[in-house]
Amino acid sequence: MKRRHFIATSSAALAAGFLPSCSGKSAKPKLTVFTWADYLSDEAKAAFEKAHGCEVVIDTFDSNEAMIAKIESGATGYDILVPSSYAVKQLESKGLLQPLDHTKLPNLGNIDKTYLTHALDPEMKISAPYMMAPTCVAYLKSKVPDAEPTWGLFSRADVKGRATLLDDMREVLGAALKNLGHSLNSTDPAQLEAAAALAIEWKTNIAKFENEQYKSGIASGEFHLVHGYAGDLIAVQAENGDIEIVIPKEGASFPCDDLCIPKSAKNADLAHAFINHLCDAEVAAENMEWIGYRAPNTAAYKSLTEDFRGSPILFPPDEVFSKCEPIGYLGDKLPLWTAAWEKVKNA
Amino acid sequence: MKPSRIPLVTTCIVLAFFYLPIAALVAKSFNSSRFSPEWKGFTLKWYSRLFERDDILAALVNSLKVAVIAASASMLLGTCAAFALHRYKSRLQDAHRVMVNVPLVLPDILMGMSLLLLFIAAGVSLSLATVTIAHVTFCLSYVTLVVLARLQDFDPNIVEAARDLGATRFQAFRKITLPILFPGVLAGGLLAFTLSIDDYVVTFFVKGPGSDTLPTLVYSMIKKSKELPVINALSTLMLLFTFLLVFASQRLTRPVNR
Repeated sequence: MKRRHFIATSSAALAAGFLPSCSGKSAKPKLTVFTWADYLSDEAKAAFEKAHGCEVVIDTFDSNEAMIAKIESGATGYDILVPSSYAVKQLESKGLLQPLDHTKLPNLGNIDKTYLTHALDPEMKISAPYMMAPTCVAYLKSKVPDAEPTWGLFSRADVKGRATLLDDMREVLGAALKNLGHSLNSTDPAQLEAAAALAIEWKTNIAKFENEQYKSGIASGEFHLVHGYAGDLIAVQAENGDIEIVIPKEGASFPCDDLCIPKSAKNADLAHAFINHLCDAEVAAENMEWIGYRAPNTAAYKSLTEDFRGSPILFPPDEVFSKCEPIGYLGDKLPLWTAAWEKVKNA
Repeated sequence: MKPSRIPLVTTCIVLAFFYLPIAALVAKSFNSSRFSPEWKGFTLKWYSRLFERDDILAALVNSLKVAVIAASASMLLGTCAAFALHRYKSRLQDAHRVMVNVPLVLPDILMGMSLLLLFIAAGVSLSLATVTIAHVTFCLSYVTLVVLARLQDFDPNIVEAARDLGATRFQAFRKITLPILFPGVLAGGLLAFTLSIDDYVVTFFVKGPGSDTLPTLVYSMIKKSKELPVINALSTLMLLFTFLLVFASQRLTRPVNR
């Protein structure tokens, strides 16, 4: 009796599991987006589905590299990818992306021209910028008095053992390069050498390289100075008024995630329509406030709430913003960087 | 003589080791602060957000579907494999034994990548079905080994006795072998279920659009989401459900004669 019951329930579960995935739901066209979780507002998604009578299916990844590995192996079924700019370059160099057809994308005119001067794809040939947020520095006002907004904070004696830097080659060496007045993506061996030396000096002063605990660490006061992502730090600041976030005056990384269409996309027209939709001023404004990042979309800026538009982190003054750079694609120069980073980690 | 304190102390340490992290997670799911480890006030907002998040609930359903099917299928196949390995001794079965053991030590990333390449070469589009097949692949070995261990303690004379007494082959299997082996099969199935429900690496490579499972979604949420604490709420609910299930099964399996 028991066994029969077991067989009945398990075969029911079996049927329930396979049926929906086999029976194509309806004739509605599907747009599949391979992106980060929680990186598209419900409203922006629903509005697109309604306007185009389609269904937007989200699939998520958690690192550019894993996503590239998957696409490069030949995984298909995706119409839109949302990688970081340097990963777009990497996908492009492998011939996995198709060019954007600007005649289908009138809203690209809304994109922030100032941003495009730094962008890796300034003419938007293969990608349209989606969302960006800087990597910045946060400190406790009560513990780090007279803090200048500079990378030099990490050398200060009074934060010894109470500071963290991100455990990320591009961010740490990039910050050191910026502090020395070079490009964030420099591949000059002498400049990298100097940057590694500076990073080693920081390393002796900080508590550790850290990607996750810095948030609760600074919220609880365990750390006094941290290097972290703007999206997270702004959320932490809302809980602890003693935290001050700054973009160092030498400039910082201001990475952007871009929308692009893989060659294997089945529904390229709908994909173009989706990119155009997200670049619409009203949609972009609503979407960026929901996500908490900045969409480089000039037309959208005026529709933002004052609070959001006033953020000195997402909308830094021009003299700081002009010194910020996206993280570039290193291509065959990558070994130079990994060698320098090895040196820092082993020091 | 005073009774020894050692058992009590050991029990406390073991319980603390198991349940303190879980208690912290449960407490955090009611904390209104997202980052601070300190208590910033009681809230149910993460729970109410959870029930508005269709994508998380869909991922949970996907995870459960895959785990149930993968566990059932690997119970069936694993038991067959264990029988073959136990019953027949030949070069082929020696090879079979090695092949069953290999996936236990194979790195997940290798398995995920090779399954992805296989599916692409075969022209199968990635979906929940490919995830399920992949999960059966790595669960199978565990089930086989658990059932095999049970088979090694199994006395074949009982089956012969049943046959002597007039049972057909099938009857002997149904009434004798299966009931004796069933705890082993079930243990293998439960192991497969847990392996399947928290697998991330293999799943990432073989999932297709719309087939996010809970682990892949959570890993991605860590990167950009503002609503990560809803995962604490979800975990709390899943824990509660698991405890209820264990409690119910203990009540149901308790001997009736008191």
